[in-house]
Amino acid sequence: MWDSGITSLFVDLTNRLGLNYEFLATGYEAEIWRDGFITTLYLIALLIPVSLIAGLLFAACLTSGRLWLSAPVRAFVEITRNTPTLVQLMFSFLVLNTFVSNLVGAQNNPLTPFFWVVAVVGLHIAALHAEAIRAGIEAVPASTVEAARGIGFSKLQILRYVEIPLAFRASLPAMVNNLINLVKLTTVGNAIAVSEITYASIMVWTQRDNVVSLMIVILLFFSIINLVVARVGLWVERKLAVPGYGL
Amino acid sequence: MTTVALSEPRKSGRLLRNIGFAALPAVILLWSLADLTLGRELVQWLPYLASGFLMNVVISLSAMTLGTVVGTIFGILQLVPYRPVRYPVVAYVQAFRNAPHLVLIFATTYIFPFEIVVFGNYLPFPDWLKAVIGLAIPASAYVAEITRGAILSIPTTQWEAAKGLGFSRSQALRWIILPQCLRRSLPPWMNILASITMGTSLASLVGVHELLHAATDASTAVRRLDFTIIAYIVVMAAFFTLCYPISRLTRRLERRFNAGSRN
Repeated sequence: MWDSGITSLFVDLTNRLGLNYEFLATGYEAEIWRDGFITTLYLIALLIPVSLIAGLLFAACLTSGRLWLSAPVRAFVEITRNTPTLVQLMFSFLVLNTFVSNLVGAQNNPLTPFFWVVAVVGLHIAALHAEAIRAGIEAVPASTVEAARGIGFSKLQILRYVEIPLAFRASLPAMVNNLINLVKLTTVGNAIAVSEITYASIMVWTQRDNVVSLMIVILLFFSIINLVVARVGLWVERKLAVPGYGL
Repeated sequence: MTTVALSEPRKSGRLLRNIGFAALPAVILLWSLADLTLGRELVQWLPYLASGFLMNVVISLSAMTLGTVVGTIFGILQLVPYRPVRYPVVAYVQAFRNAPHLVLIFATTYIFPFEIVVFGNYLPFPDWLKAVIGLAIPASAYVAEITRGAILSIPTTQWEAAKGLGFSRSQALRWIILPQCLRRSLPPWMNILASITMGTSLASLVGVHELLHAATDASTAVRRLDFTIIAYIVVMAAFFTLCYPISRLTRRLERRFNAGSRN
């Protein structure tokens, strides 16, 4: 009762400003819309670890020095970086998904549109992370590595104790940027009917013609999430800052 | 010893890059030669796909032009010492830098009317033009940030030196600061160009006839799985041939400018 009181107060107040949020008072549309927000948040929460883990693996391949490992990953990274995510998503969903369907039968294809969004966006951002981490590893001063070798560290120990900690710090700003891109990229799920926030909003505004009202909320929503991501990134950066090294 | 070890992978890296650049077109060519019925179908649809791609290029260039002009002005306004001017601009940049491109394209498509009245004449306001504005908004926000960053990166002593030479604030900006900013902001500007170019494919979701839309049309008309695959590979190859040179050039410029600033 208390909840509906606040909702109707909000609808009333915004109505006076010329904004239309009447759908919030209805059960069905409001639920679709709230689910849209939750789906977007869920996508983001799932995609951040997926992209980071895959990005680390890619970076490991890129810097391994073995051509058979680095060349395919390099090709993947370049294609991913230089073609639109939407095209990749459509390609995966229409082509790869059809292959899987032909293989196991359409009715027991376990791969949902949701899976494809996670896979495509996750790998796309992973490719960007991989580049950032690679650049970070290359930015570790050669003298530092030499000094570590001088103390008698093995190649693996240098990687573990010297290169990775320094590279991670150097690549952190770029990775936070990628994560902000990730948050924005979740909207492409709209193309294959994953009911994230833009898809849910289309459902509402085709009925009620209140595009401006919904847009304000969506823009605020993404601004807040990205602000949080950027803040957390900055916090981690400060926490890990090495005195006298870089910034 | 280290120089030898470094130059070797760099050479093979360049070879690999050149092979990589030709890989997608080679796949398309070889496949259509291997299966001639597919090749004939593809050749028939290529003009249609090309007309779609032209639209991508047009949208991308117009959005970038508009975004650069507005963004440069906003970047300068972000540093104006008057709060009533500065705060709204900062808010604009923050809001639209963080907004998904797709959301902005939706916003402009659905909010703007389908025709506008200019001096009593009804002018059509086509969807592709709305997509241009939808992409120009984030582009302007990014360009504003770049401009602001570039202006701030110029040492303050140069402002003072310009003042000492009798330049006014705006003269110093025009003749001393901005020319230096141009060089610094070129690589990130090109990054934005590539990202906006790729963003043009989002316009297909609001019904603009561009490459992805054309490919979807073609694949629904032909109804062959292998044609669908090759059509999407063509789409990827088209965007790749447009964006890959930009990103390579960006990286080269970044390296050169970094090397220059270290001296």
